[in-house]
Formats: sequence, structure tokens, C-alpha cells
Amino acid sequence: MGRMTFVIRRLLLLIPTAVGVTIIAFFMIHLIPGDPAQTILGIHATPQKIALLHHQWGLDRPLADQYWLFMDRLVHGNLGQSLYYGVPVSGLITSRLPATLWLIIYAGVIAIVISVPLAMIAASRKDAVRDHIVRAVPLLGLGMPAFWLALILQSELAVKYRLFPVTGYGSGVIGHLHSMFLPSLTVAVALCPVVIRALRASMLNVLGADYVTTARAKGVPGPRLFVRHVLRNAIIPAVTVLGINIGFLIGGTLIVEQVFSIGGIGQLMIGSIFQRDFPVVQAVALVFGIMVVLVNLLTDVAYASLDPRVRFDR
Amino acid sequence: MRKRTALMNFLIAGSAVALLAGCGSSSSGSNNSSSSSGPVRGGNLVFANPQDAQSMDESTIFDNNSIWILEQIMQPLYTVTDNGKGVMPWLATGYTMSPDGLTYTFTLRKGVEFSNGKPMSSADVKWSLEQTMAAKAGWGYIDAAIKSVDAPNASTVVLHLKYKWAPLLADLSLFANGIVPNNYGGKTAAQFYQAPVGTGPFMWDYWHKGQGLKLVKNPHYWEPGKPYLNSITWTDVPSDNTRQLQVTSGQAQIDQFPAWATVSALKSTPSVSMTLFNSTETNYLAFNEKVKPFQDVNVRRAISLAINRPSLIKAVLFGNGKPANSLFPPQVPYYDPSTPGYQYNLAAAKAAMAKSSVPHGFTTTITIPSGNSDYATIATIVQSELKPLNIKVNVQTLDPNVANANFQAQKYDMSLTLWTMDIPDPDELATFGLDPTSGAKSFFTSYDNPTVVKDTHSAEQITTPSARQALYNIVQTDAAKDAFMAFLYYSPYPYVTSSNVRGFFVTPLGNYHMENVWLSK
Repeated sequence: MGRMTFVIRRLLLLIPTAVGVTIIAFFMIHLIPGDPAQTILGIHATPQKIALLHHQWGLDRPLADQYWLFMDRLVHGNLGQSLYYGVPVSGLITSRLPATLWLIIYAGVIAIVISVPLAMIAASRKDAVRDHIVRAVPLLGLGMPAFWLALILQSELAVKYRLFPVTGYGSGVIGHLHSMFLPSLTVAVALCPVVIRALRASMLNVLGADYVTTARAKGVPGPRLFVRHVLRNAIIPAVTVLGINIGFLIGGTLIVEQVFSIGGIGQLMIGSIFQRDFPVVQAVALVFGIMVVLVNLLTDVAYASLDPRVRFDR
Repeated sequence: MRKRTALMNFLIAGSAVALLAGCGSSSSGSNNSSSSSGPVRGGNLVFANPQDAQSMDESTIFDNNSIWILEQIMQPLYTVTDNGKGVMPWLATGYTMSPDGLTYTFTLRKGVEFSNGKPMSSADVKWSLEQTMAAKAGWGYIDAAIKSVDAPNASTVVLHLKYKWAPLLADLSLFANGIVPNNYGGKTAAQFYQAPVGTGPFMWDYWHKGQGLKLVKNPHYWEPGKPYLNSITWTDVPSDNTRQLQVTSGQAQIDQFPAWATVSALKSTPSVSMTLFNSTETNYLAFNEKVKPFQDVNVRRAISLAINRPSLIKAVLFGNGKPANSLFPPQVPYYDPSTPGYQYNLAAAKAAMAKSSVPHGFTTTITIPSGNSDYATIATIVQSELKPLNIKVNVQTLDPNVANANFQAQKYDMSLTLWTMDIPDPDELATFGLDPTSGAKSFFTSYDNPTVVKDTHSAEQITTPSARQALYNIVQTDAAKDAFMAFLYYSPYPYVTSSNVRGFFVTPLGNYHMENVWLSK
């Protein structure tokens, strides 16, 4: 099977995945007690006002009808109206998605920039002091709560030294790179330990391979050996680990989005759940589902591209 | 009503210490002191808001974050005075009342223009009031006394009432009665409220939902020389700690709701001013009289007497509040400081319990919304303080939406709740809290004292202040003696501002006039 056929087949699998996500998201959010009309009216809610809003929103219709209406709109490219904001859901998602994508991609890049050299240092001499340090220190990042690290970074780098803004997404590419550095670093610090460990283990494996021994025997210098022979082959398992973790990050960046007030899609999701904004929750769940499938697909394609031994029909 | 999400409280709990450590210490300045050189023009002021706005439709919105923004765009005929106890002319300059009290004729202020440059006229006022009157799922009830609105000429508006209505001017000062262009300037309501137009000091720029909303100076504003600021931006910052860091770093100038735990440290932070504005926020413990044994007045009295208010204030507000003695807060007209609301007296509590239908105690539940650390603290204290009365209290923590729904459906035993005034008149609170036939069923308690109900409604139709005061004194006293809710405490509004913010003032109703605010150099 060629690469294109593989990609098309995986993209077609998106359809049943998306339908499954809509069914689960739709009925789960309706199973949770609570009422969007109650949220909007607050203490001023009366049965009459609640009934009026329910009728206006179609929430007084049977659940199956509501789902059918949702799907009917969806196939016509309409994600519906937000009950809370009263604006199209698609607009809410498209305005917030870029911030979350920036956060995830930027965090992934920072994680790679930190992890690759550290893994090389650790693998260059197994069980040496530097190996133990590299294996142990990043684990702090895994154990440290994201909001705590975020606050430390904000207090020190944003408030004390004024190197970065405390919050926000920034504007323009340079603005995004500047504003999103601290939130991305916060996410990356939690990603690094798993990537470092995967990369280190993989490098140690590769270091024992015959072709590395041969290269060494031929007098290839250490740094060149690492970059050209070891890293390229060792990075393949690390790509898988990174891909899986980025899949988890989609929708899992909520805390960081909240603390840095980024206004991304995770923040939209949690706010909508609290507000019982059914159309938004359904649509965001659908977007998350599609994104996870796409990231997994990209990981597989990257894996196969890096390793010619991997075939697309496997 | 103010809300705080579960996540926000989680973040507060975990990180207040780190944050306070970064605040340093020094004396605070006053943000309202005037400069000898007078107000400085220009600048963009940034609010750090705990929550995004929801809608700009003034006739249907109940969310404070939206209300405080739209008040800078749309203005009513009258506005609330700084002490929160009266009104003053705003887009109207005065009125006359017919001898039967059923017709009010208002004269409109001359020279008022909308931000699009078109002059405001009586047709705009008529249209605006009629939209709010028709908003059945919104604030229509506040204008229920108005039968019709006439616009006999461009500068005169006549309101015909169904019955005499003492709180009319207070009702007209509500944001929901803000003036918008006739027929929404030819747009649909949905189109209009995407970028609303009003007579206020600021006009629409943009709203990036979940990120920020910006208003810019209205060049057609009617108050000479105002506003001073070029623009205001409200940013959506859910975390208390982050809002505080934004203000201390200069990225924002006003933090709307700092955590109580940080108030003391903020008072001594050099770059900011910490101000506690008088408010109408009152916190209560509600008893559901549909559930036994809360129909028994002695049970309610016993619980009210067993709660140590100063301890609650110390634990929740870190000392920044006052024990409540009445359903009404002190910043409301006709509040009676001598109202005998029950205060801590354990012996009297035990005596009341002994006279009750459950002298040996009972088991009950207090329901609180998840993520509200203040309510969790109160519930724990109440749980402990009712033990000497042999009342076993289980604390039930529910999702905020569900807790609110259960409260309003009266599926609870005891519940914590609060109130802030929308208008400078006690009528809205009195009807909401004391009339079991109102939509709120006596603050969702089903409390029913026919004398209180009768006096409450009589006070609505008497325009003589002394007569209204006499009636409201009786109402407050009767309601306090019946202990239909335990009146817990009055809380101020905490605001953190950068030390260069001048002229910022919050009325007890929570409104602020941003046309008076400027940034010193």
C-alpha cells in the first residue's frame, strides 16, 4: 500500500470516529444534571423563564430529535449556536483553536530542543553521573503540578525580570513566540522526561548496533557518530512517544490555558461544561476527536518516513 | 451574583503562598487621590476579569461581567448615586408626577448623541423601554408597573403606570433600562448587540470571546471633557493568582476580585492599591421550609443563634466584613440598623432548640457548590457549631449548576446563598426574599408570613419616604424574628488597582463610572 492510499484510508476512518464522538459527547453532556437556562438566568431563574429559553433553544424537544437536528446541521457544516454566547459555535472554535495549536506545537518543539541534547548526554556514558542527573532531574518536571511551575515562571520571569508577559497569546508570529514561551515551556517541562527516557533508551540500543561499532572502528568522531548514525535511528521510538503525548495534550492543556489566560479551546471546553452549553461541548469534543486521530496519523506517517523498513500496510 | 469556578479555587488554594511571597511589602497608595495637575488624558486601561462577558443585550443579561461592561456603552435616564441609596438625573434632567401618581413626564437631557453621532430623542427612549418591558425571559419584570410609554415630542417621554409605584426611578436607573437607538438603528437585535451603540462614554471596538473585549472613547460623549481614557480592555483571566500578577507586573490595571486570602498582603504591596468598597453583598444560610423540621421557627432561631458570625468573617473574609443583622444590607435605602437579626448566643440557641419540635436534635444536610472555598469553609464551621444542639450536619457538595438548580427547585435542607442589589431600592430584594408567590418563592425557602408580604407590597405603592421607612422597619424586624434565613455577613467589594489609576470608584451596587477614571504618569 502506498503512502497516499494509507493516508486516505486513515482519513476515511475519521467518519465513524467522528460519529462515535458525537454520540458519546451528545448523550454524555445531556446525562449530566444541570441546565443552561439556569446558568444564564442565575438567581433570577423562574420556571416560566426557564421554559421560555428551553423552547427558544429547542431543548423541550425529545433527545433523539435534538441529536438528529445536531447531525443534520453538522453534515451541512453548521455546528449550531452557543446557548451561552448566542453566536455560532464554529466562530468560537476557529477563534480559539489557533491558541491551543500554538501551545501544543510550541511545547513539542521546546520539548525536542531540550530532550535531544540531554538524551545524547545521558546516553554518551551509561550509568555515569551525568546519565543519572539527566534521568533524575527532568522527573521533577513530571512530578511538579503545571499550575505551580506556571506560577513560578510567571513570578520570576514575567513579574520580577519582565522578560515575558504574564498572560496572553500575543499578536503576530513574533508576539505569539514571545507571549506563548512561558506556557509552552510549562507544558514542555512535563513532556521532556518521557521523551528523554525514550530517546536515551533507544540511543543506548543503537549504540550497541554493529553499524555503530563499524563506524567507530572507521574513526568517525563522537559528535558526528551521534548525530548521523545514532540519533537518526534512535529518534524513531521517541517520535511515537512524543506523538502519543501530544495526542494526550489535545484538550489536556486546560490548566496551562487557565493560568496563562490563553483563551484556547481547552478553556472553552471546560467553561462550556460548567455552563452546560451543549452545542459547544459537542462541537469541541468532535474537534478534539478529529485532532487526536490526525496527530496519530501524522505520527505513523512520520514513523514510516524516518524508517524505510516500516511499510504502510503494517 | 458572583461566581467562582472550581478550577479557580483549586488554583488559589495551591498557590496563594507562592504568590504572596512574590508580592513583597510596602505601604499602599490611594487610587482615588487627585493630582494637582488634574486628570491626564489618554491611555488604555486593562481590567483583569475572572470571567468573560456573556452578552451585551441589556434587556436579558444577568451576568455581572457583562453588565459592568455594557454600562459603559448604554446609559439609563437616571443613575445610582455614589452611596448607592438614591438616584440622580442622567439622560433625563428631571420629571413631574401627576397628582394620582400614575403618570410621570420626563425631560430629556439636551445635546446627548449616540456614539454614531445621531442625537438621542424620546423615540429612542420609548423603543428601549418597550424592548425591556417585553423581555419575558429577561428584565421585563422590573418594568411590570409601566403600562405604556409615550413620546409626545423629541425631548419628552411620558410613562403611564398600571398602579402607583414608588421604586420607579430606581427601576429606571437599572442598566436594563439603558437607552439604545430606535429600532436598533435598522438592525435586528442579534446584529445590533454584536456591536452595540449607546450614549455612554465608551463605544464598541471588538470582542474576542474568551480573550478580551475592548471599548474605545466615544467622541460624541455628552459630559464635557470626558472620558479621559482612550480605551478600556477587559481581559478574561480565570485564575485569581494570574490576575494579581498581571496587576503587580503592570500588564493590567484593575483586578476585579482578588482572593480574600491575599487582601492583607496586597494592602502592603507598593505598586498597587487595595480598596474595599462598600457593597450590598449579603450572605445568608437559607432554610427550606418545605422540609422538616425547618417549618419550626424555633429550629431556625436555634441555628441562627448558634452561628458565630465574627468567626465566619475571620475565617472567610479574613476579617473584612460585618455580621449581618437584617435581610437588607446597610447600603440599601430603608435599612434599619436596629433590626434584631439573631447573633451568636449558644444558651439562647439551646433554649430555642428545647422549645422546638426536635428538642433532642436531628440530622440534616447543607448543600454547597463545588469549587467555592468560601462556602466550604462556612459549611464546615456551621457543621461544627451546630453540634452542641445535637444537629448533625452533612455537607453535600454539588456541581455549581446542579447546586443552583436544586436550590431553586427547593431540593435542599440548608443552602448558602447571597444577594447583591441591582437597584437602589429594597423592593426587588424584599419581593424576591419575602413573597412566596413571587418567582423566587421567598428566596427559594417557601417562607410565608402574610403580614410581611402585605407590608412589603404596601411599601411599593407609598411614595412618602417616612411611611416607607416605617413599613420596611416592620418587615425587617418580622423577617429577622422569623429567622427564615440566618443572616450571616455583609461583605465589601475588594478591588486591586495599579497605583497610577485615579478616580476609580465602585458603588455599593457594583457599578463603576469609567468616564471619571484616568491614568497618572
